[in-house]
Amino acid sequence: MKGPLDRTKAVVRHLPPSISQSTLMEQIDGRFAGRYDWVYFLQGKTSHKCQCYSRAYIDFKRPEDVIEFAEFFDGHVFVNEKGIQFRTIVEYAPSQRVPKQWSKKDGR
Amino acid sequence: PERSARISKVRPPLHQYIRKLLFSDLDKSSIEHVLRQLRKLPWNECEPYLLKCFMKVHKGKYGQIHLIASLTAGLSRYHDEFAVAVVDEVLEEIRVGLELNDFEMQQRRLAQMRLLGELYNYEQLDSSVIFDTLYLILVFGHGTSEQDMLDPPEDFFRARLVITLLETCGHYFDRGSSKRKLDRFLIYFQRYILSKGALPLDIEFDIQDLFADLRPKMTRYSSIEEVNAVLIELEEHERSVSTDKANSEKHSDVEKPPSSSTSGSTSVN
Repeated sequence: MKGPLDRTKAVVRHLPPSISQSTLMEQIDGRFAGRYDWVYFLQGKTSHKCQCYSRAYIDFKRPEDVIEFAEFFDGHVFVNEKGIQFRTIVEYAPSQRVPKQWSKKDGR
Repeated sequence: PERSARISKVRPPLHQYIRKLLFSDLDKSSIEHVLRQLRKLPWNECEPYLLKCFMKVHKGKYGQIHLIASLTAGLSRYHDEFAVAVVDEVLEEIRVGLELNDFEMQQRRLAQMRLLGELYNYEQLDSSVIFDTLYLILVFGHGTSEQDMLDPPEDFFRARLVITLLETCGHYFDRGSSKRKLDRFLIYFQRYILSKGALPLDIEFDIQDLFADLRPKMTRYSSIEEVNAVLIELEEHERSVSTDKANSEKHSDVEKPPSSSTSGSTSVN
């Protein structure tokens, strides 16, 4: 089992639904470029039924970087084009699993 | 009527095919075939839609949710990033469910709980994820101003979530550290339900069944004072074990460098 000291995968929640991956990564790379190995971004959606936030998973190279990242981005406020504020939440991802790099190519 | 007829959604053929495979073809006997067909899809294009459909377990039969977990495991060999995404997505849905506590989504939340348990059964996640989720259900929003909205005293849905998850995968926690972890959790769960007051009969019977299934010999406490006393003892014991451990680690550290100096707490003059 992974203890708190060796968790490297973080999740960034409650991002604006319309934010793009490149906008987000620009913000992150300003300080954390080269310090992560893997990013998975999920675009949110606004419809009359629901407002689903965007979300990103980031796997850092070192556990300490997650803490610095959280200090920096947890509670960070993004403002969308309509001036609505979104306060992001940064947490350890509940599942620390990250895709294996060598994932086989499917011969089908 | 003056309104125009409702226009039904037209889906791209590939999406229609995915839906047919997952929502009508899939059963015990066809799963190998469905898996093969899914592997043949143009993955770059289809992955987000496939993920979306995997999350619609509440639309299918409850007893078939394990097939979705089995497909996830089958696909992880070739598309590990997809299996990782399925696990992350279920956990997110469960979290959102707790944040919203929307009555209308209850069926869906139970199905997602079932899926999480099945994903454990198909080795797509660790037991620590299951236990973290169980404790999250007991405490989420507690001690905040939103507690009455998120987990009202007369609302027993969270107990249902716990029962559903443990019905699905609890029988695997029968030895070693995961056995101890379930023993511990079940005491906290008892405190949670005792804090709720009188249980509705249907929940009470399901809890009785759960204990009979997983821990037939475990004590069911009858008052919150009793369970609190047990938990205080347990927490004290855990604290002493962890400080013992820390101390013995310290000792072994000290022993390693052969007494180069007598530094440490005594040499601070």
